[in-house]
Amino acid sequence: MAGNKGRGRAAYTFNIEAVGFTRGEKLPDVVLKPPPLFPDTDYKTVPLKTGEGEDYMLALKQELRETMKRMPFFMETPEEKQDIERYSKRYMKVYKEEWVPDWRRLPREMMPRKKCKKDPKSKKAKDTGKVTSLTNTADVLKKIEELEKRGDSEKSDEENEEKEGSKEKSKEGDDDDDAAEQQEYDEEEQEEENDYINSYFEDGDDSGAESDDNVDEATY
Amino acid sequence: MTQAEINLCSLLLQEHFGEIVEKIGVHLIRTGSQPLRVIAHDTGTSLDQVKKALCVLIQHNLVIYQVHKRGVVEYEAQCSRVLRMLRYPRYIYTAKTLYSDTGELIVEELLLNGKMTMSAVVKKVADRLTETMEDGKTMDYAEVSNTFVRLADTHFVQRCPLVPATENSDPGPPPPAPTLVVNEKDMYLVPKLSLIGKGKRRRSSDEEAAGEPKAKRPKHTLDNKEPIPDDGIYWQTNLDRFHQHFRDQAIVSAVANRMDQTSSEIVRTMLRMSEITTLSNAPFTQPLSSNEIFRSLPVGYNISKQVLDQYLTLLADDPLEFVGKSGDSGGGIFGSRCARIFRLVLQKKHLEQKQVEDFAMIPAKEAKDMLYKMLSENFISLQEIPKTPDHAPSRTFYLYTVNILSAARMLLHRCYKSIANLIERRQFETKENKRLLEKSQRVEAIIASMQATGAEEPQLQEIEEMITAPERQQLETLKRNVNKLDASEIQVDETIFLLESYIESTMKRP
Repeated sequence: MAGNKGRGRAAYTFNIEAVGFTRGEKLPDVVLKPPPLFPDTDYKTVPLKTGEGEDYMLALKQELRETMKRMPFFMETPEEKQDIERYSKRYMKVYKEEWVPDWRRLPREMMPRKKCKKDPKSKKAKDTGKVTSLTNTADVLKKIEELEKRGDSEKSDEENEEKEGSKEKSKEGDDDDDAAEQQEYDEEEQEEENDYINSYFEDGDDSGAESDDNVDEATY
Repeated sequence: MTQAEINLCSLLLQEHFGEIVEKIGVHLIRTGSQPLRVIAHDTGTSLDQVKKALCVLIQHNLVIYQVHKRGVVEYEAQCSRVLRMLRYPRYIYTAKTLYSDTGELIVEELLLNGKMTMSAVVKKVADRLTETMEDGKTMDYAEVSNTFVRLADTHFVQRCPLVPATENSDPGPPPPAPTLVVNEKDMYLVPKLSLIGKGKRRRSSDEEAAGEPKAKRPKHTLDNKEPIPDDGIYWQTNLDRFHQHFRDQAIVSAVANRMDQTSSEIVRTMLRMSEITTLSNAPFTQPLSSNEIFRSLPVGYNISKQVLDQYLTLLADDPLEFVGKSGDSGGGIFGSRCARIFRLVLQKKHLEQKQVEDFAMIPAKEAKDMLYKMLSENFISLQEIPKTPDHAPSRTFYLYTVNILSAARMLLHRCYKSIANLIERRQFETKENKRLLEKSQRVEAIIASMQATGAEEPQLQEIEEMITAPERQQLETLKRNVNKLDASEIQVDETIFLLESYIESTMKRP
């Protein structure tokens, strides 16, 4: 009862002077909306440090940024094909070194799986990918010819490998060919682009070898 | 991980590794440990790209993997390690101050490549140094090796965990992932290599590669056949050691600010003596006797033992205990008067409204205003001390106090947001002027090629005029702004370092 100044009238439950307002003084406005996005600051900010060390670090930072973009670790997003091939794009392309991780340190599933195929290397001709040493079309055509020749002779090797059913990830004799790495990635990409099983288009003798190890009878 | 941290990580990954790696990285940071297929499914990226991205991230120590039961391998991202990428310039600069250009390049190569074998590092650094030397001079491998050994001895670089040697008698299929073993003893052990050779200068004919790619370019300039002697032994930078160095530097400069040069030298000596003996995140160094300190002082300082003792007593009595924050200047957001109030409350631990006004010598109205502003931003908090058990507000003391830990955390969070804003603004500015930048790059390329083929002055001038004066102005402004933003990033990162160290060391105290 005492101290209650009547219903509906604002009465402070505590001693207002303790918080620093004198009685009867106008209180600050009630805030009704969220603070502005870019509030005005009454005071200027502390100026940036300057000095030899800071300048050097600044230069380093900008250099590092550029260098990182050129490293093989920077994975470019494949851009959409532009309707007109711009001249400037050709000479501004950056050639990156290939990077091969140390597979011994990584889980096995990291390695791109190399499926044995009948003629995988001819697909390389379509490769416009990030790391390639062949942009010269003449070279590409030459390479295709070479590979086709090689592809035929290697077919029998591939069949043997499949028969053993080994899951070895060992690379074949074309180890020192840079494109072998690229090719493995390509196979994966090609795999997922279409719905057909890879053996769909293969010749009769190949599929015969794949289906059954012990069957010697002819396929129909 | 807070949203601000995740956002910042996303920006950093994107700038340094591209969008694909960024997508995978951020996804892992958000969701924690996940196996390969789930990542591919959840992010909607092809399996092949996920694998590549993970390889890159693992190489740079940003993602680790673990084999769980049933042979499932799960990948986990290290958010705090991603944030360290902001500090790369500082690490490299520190290496430069300590071990000159050779050290600088070694650390830079290690940071850029994640991990490397010693022979690879030595070769690359020697090549780079040879490029910058005068014609005819080359950098010897031995010199680079020496610097590398010194870096290893002072623990600035360390070995990566090793793949255990597998015995051939292992039955069954090999495990899905190697379990990397950390060998504490050998962490800084440099393999005995006899690296003989000199850096190779890249001949200008090799640089023609852009125009005429060879069909089968050999991967290395050395023979492929030679087995690498230290194969499998990879090295990485030891970021903790750098952090320890920064911390020591901060402490020494704080002491120098507060007292004088001599006392800071004393502290520096103490820290140097404890470098190897104390763990990097121990709260206190090992106790050192004043005799030991006296003996270890640098030669130029001829102070007597007595004076040293006096200094030590002074240092011991200082209430700030020179840890973490050093004094500020200016006052920042709230102004220097607010800073005065803040420091006052910090020092006196708890203060009433009236006392604040008296001690800070600031008129009541202003003091009130500032206190409430700081309160609303959570720099200061109110502590209630009830006089009566029913906590009646009219009979309770309200004291202002600073809770340093939470204030530090709040500031840290703000720092992350600021850096993210700085990066975004910089990217925006660059994107806005992209066309102009490309144009100027083209012009520079043209000028360079013309100079190489011996063009005359008027021709060069003509090409330069392709960029008009207002465009030049625009470029200048852009460059200035980008520099400012970059410099700000570096300095905010310094604050982040201080705050993070403080929080970490405070939390560890029992």
